[in-house]
Amino acid sequence: MTHPDVEAQVDAYLDGELAAADAAEVEAHLASCASCERFRGDRLALRAAIKAELPRLEASDALRARVRTAVRREAASGSGRTSRPPVTGWRWLALAASLAAVAVGSWRLGSARSASTILTDEVLASHVRSLMPGHLSDVTSSDQHTVKPWFDGKLDFSPPVHDFAGRGYPLLGGRLDYLHGRPVAALVYGRRQHIISVFLWPADKAERPAAPVTRNGYHVLHWTTPEFAYWITSDVGLAELTEFGGMLRLADSATARYP
Amino acid sequence: MEPRELERFEAVVLPHLDAAYGLARYLMRNDADADDVVQEALLRALRYFGGFRGEQASQSRAWVLAIVRNMASTWRRRHRADEGAAEFDEAVHSDAADGEHPASELDRRDARETLAQALERLPRDLREVIVLREIEGLSYKEIGEVVDVPIGTVMSRLSRARKRLQAALAASGEER
Repeated sequence: MTHPDVEAQVDAYLDGELAAADAAEVEAHLASCASCERFRGDRLALRAAIKAELPRLEASDALRARVRTAVRREAASGSGRTSRPPVTGWRWLALAASLAAVAVGSWRLGSARSASTILTDEVLASHVRSLMPGHLSDVTSSDQHTVKPWFDGKLDFSPPVHDFAGRGYPLLGGRLDYLHGRPVAALVYGRRQHIISVFLWPADKAERPAAPVTRNGYHVLHWTTPEFAYWITSDVGLAELTEFGGMLRLADSATARYP
Repeated sequence: MEPRELERFEAVVLPHLDAAYGLARYLMRNDADADDVVQEALLRALRYFGGFRGEQASQSRAWVLAIVRNMASTWRRRHRADEGAAEFDEAVHSDAADGEHPASELDRRDARETLAQALERLPRDLREVIVLREIEGLSYKEIGEVVDVPIGTVMSRLSRARKRLQAALAASGEER
């Protein structure tokens, strides 16, 4: 271990964030290296000082009351956006998968299911077409700050673009596509040797949550946020696609988009 | 929104109000902005809550903190014109600020001030990981989710942040 490296390792060790094998390696190094052992002592002292001196802050009663009031007012008034049926999340999708059999007989679901089936077909066709040579992306970049501006002027909305390379789902690029009777943004992600397509466009109405669909080895997931309808598809395992969908939804919901 | 959904929001999200405020306060460095950021962030969380199905408290905490963090940067962008010169310039201010400590009576309160000032003086990307780790007690993985970076980056930022805090403490100790 080199020393700049060992400092971060010792920090992670003290944070209890190292795997057992790495922790053992750090312990062995500490036992044999006086300067690193001193470093460890300094870090322990720093931690103790932070614990003792930097308080965990608390929201004032005024803020507490203000937030509670604002939340209740919004919940009561925002009927348009918030009173619709719960938007699908990946957990919901997992539940929906297990309940799908129950829903089949319902007449009320009938028409929505067929509309959604048509869209599922479109999504799958577009994904498969994109896998043909030269069709994957119009802008090829792993940089979200390159991909996002590329859509400017090509669409009447600005799609949120996130990169998950650090978590094993690198952004590969983006392209324009046409689905659901309108131009949509298509984002391309990689997962090992697999390709994941993400289609999104502004959500125009509450859409009935869809259970995951699997056809010819491709899985399709769909959910709606207050701003966008999302459809994602890939031939990776359903568990991985579901994990990816969860990350995407989390990143999107946490990203504030204001004028 | 249905009453039961509001109840669920209040049960799942509102317990993280202190954590939300703590992060916002350390990021914004003043109470008024921190309060505004927290309120806007929680209203955003409410709008997106229908899609949120994290059962565990730690999951909902990371989600809420991610929204707070992003709202804080949106807030800064929106108000950048007012902020302007008031933004702390680390390179310019750090030496001068260290010199302000009286060499005498460096008691416990001074240690607190030294640390608090050193934390405020950290660049935002280092400050937020310290707050999330040391004050809110998040795991590296949760910090990675909040800040949207890989775990390796969390690790190196934490180490750099601690190095700076430790240097600040040592510098104030020498004046004693």
